[in-house]
Amino acid sequence: MHTVTLQTHYHHVFRRRALILIALAVALVLTLMLDLSAGPASLSISDILSGLLNPENLELRHRIILFEVRLPDALIALAVGAALGLSGIETQTVLNNPLASPFTLGISSFAAFGASIAIIFAPSLPWLGHTAMLPLFALLFALLCGGLVLTFSQMLGGNRENIVLIGIALFFLGEALTSAMQYVGNAEAVQEIVFWSIGNLTKAGWTEVIVVTLCFFLILPFSMRHVWVMTLLRAGEAQAQSLGLNIRRIRFFVILRVSILCAFAICFVGVIAFVGLVGPHIARLLLGEDHRLLVSGAALCGALLLSLASFLSKALMPGVIIPVGILTAIIGVPVFVLLIAGKRRRP
Amino acid sequence: MNRLRVKNLNVFYGKTQRLFDVQLPDLEDGDILGLLGPNAAGKSTLMRALSGVQKHQGQIIYKDNHQGDIPLSDWHREVAYMPQTPPQESSLLPFELLWSAARALNLTTSDQKLAKKIELLFKRLGLAESAMSPMYSLSGGKRQLVGLALALIRNPYMLLLDEPTSALDLHWRMIVLDLVHERVNRQDGIAIAALHDLELAARYCNKLVLLAHGKVVASGPVSDVLTADNIAAVFKVKAKVEPGELGYPIIQVLEPML
Ligand SMILES: Nc1ncnc2c1ncn2[C@@H]1O[C@H](COP(=O)(O)OP(=O)(O)OP(=O)(O)O)[C@@H](O)[C@H]1O
Ligand SMILES: [Mg+2]
Repeated sequence: MHTVTLQTHYHHVFRRRALILIALAVALVLTLMLDLSAGPASLSISDILSGLLNPENLELRHRIILFEVRLPDALIALAVGAALGLSGIETQTVLNNPLASPFTLGISSFAAFGASIAIIFAPSLPWLGHTAMLPLFALLFALLCGGLVLTFSQMLGGNRENIVLIGIALFFLGEALTSAMQYVGNAEAVQEIVFWSIGNLTKAGWTEVIVVTLCFFLILPFSMRHVWVMTLLRAGEAQAQSLGLNIRRIRFFVILRVSILCAFAICFVGVIAFVGLVGPHIARLLLGEDHRLLVSGAALCGALLLSLASFLSKALMPGVIIPVGILTAIIGVPVFVLLIAGKRRRP
Repeated sequence: MNRLRVKNLNVFYGKTQRLFDVQLPDLEDGDILGLLGPNAAGKSTLMRALSGVQKHQGQIIYKDNHQGDIPLSDWHREVAYMPQTPPQESSLLPFELLWSAARALNLTTSDQKLAKKIELLFKRLGLAESAMSPMYSLSGGKRQLVGLALALIRNPYMLLLDEPTSALDLHWRMIVLDLVHERVNRQDGIAIAALHDLELAARYCNKLVLLAHGKVVASGPVSDVLTADNIAAVFKVKAKVEPGELGYPIIQVLEPML
């Protein structure tokens, strides 16, 4: 009757999911190429490939476009998308809430508040350029928000309902404070704040790419160390706790690293909506609940979504770059709905 | 040998006290203690306190050591606790759940041995067909059985089972308690189970504790605890208790008392 052992059976399941993960990685490379090829200057994909392999193959103008404009923009899309996907999956699992994302912890609205302070008061530090102030303020306020969530939740006993509530409360506080800044700011400043709040990738350079990428790869090993507990948590907190695991402590560390990662992800590019929420869900639908695959899968899905959005932001209307934050939801929602519908049909 | 002794156990939720000076019969190898009592009596609270999840005051003495003196990791290696809530309905697979639990707990078994162990456990609990179906697609009873498998994965010495059979049919109820009985006898362990089914308790437990409003009303051997008077006082039902053919008392509930 049972000729196949459970282990071999699971091995098959795991291998199928690993193949999906590889397919996602391949898709990511393809969208990256698409993204690099899109833009006003006509550079074909083969030009880009040969240029990447040997920059001497390109004429100087195209070399500058590729290496100083397109590559940083395309890579920051990957880095930010991956960071948001990773922080999204960890937040959802650890709070046991499919609607949770780093943004529902208030991180994004505090970042926007920090950014608006920088825009309106234009503070300056002697040893930092003016352009560095905006991301710096966004980063500091996002981190402040993470700190507040952790402090309050520790004070209230650290259960997950409280963390969700505190996060939502801080989210609205950040929104209100940003609105207050807009109220006192002049029209130009308000426009800049709104523009930042939509999120766009075009201002990023190599420094930004390196910072976000570094942050992602520094946080990832910690996430990988927790994959077993995170998988176990999908059976519910009571079950994980009954085995003697200190879920409160684990949750503290997860929220801590998620806040840091998310703060770095959005401080340069603004509030990119939806990726941190839907990237993880797409990954879950495709890969199941085993966090060994799911953690990297969510990062891949986030990167894929944002890269696709970045491509479309340049390709949809020739000559115009639509802010990418507008597109993430517009392309994310249909993909998401299709996947859910597909899953339904399969029993 | 005395394995578990519980005395003067008090539990507070905030300022409200929910367990009052609870004392359990001393437990020895091979004992199965049944915990009986109406809803909100404090059975789950007592279970959580014994498992170490819930803060408490009083004495839990395990193999001559106070629980507070035993490092938590050692404690949880000896004691497995099955909470009243079964694993939630996610798309997690039962096999994944047991596997990740074993790995999260750093159980030092090879992949092969672990898989074998999970397979045997699942087969024993009638879960072989469900091992690769997402939790949300399992029936309530099957999910409860997965929860039991999770508690058993570590071969614990002491089993704490909070209503392990509440969702199970007649067949699986007995299979589960047979399995508990077998484990307790084969490995010289002990088990404590909160139960609502008096017949099952009479059949499988050798000691009982009757709990009401956080206090022990009666405790000791089955025949001392399961009397018509005790049942009337605690469960507010009129009942007849008769010696049964299989060697344990049969309880016939007649009507609720108003
Ligand atoms: N986390 C909690 N906070 C506050 N009060 C609680 C908590 N858990 C349980 N209680 C209270 O403690 C008392 C005992 O509850 P407990 O869950 O231990 O009952 P029980 O005997 O397991 O009941 P049931 O048969 O319904 O499972 C109840 O009055 C309950 O309301
Ligand atoms: Mg209970």
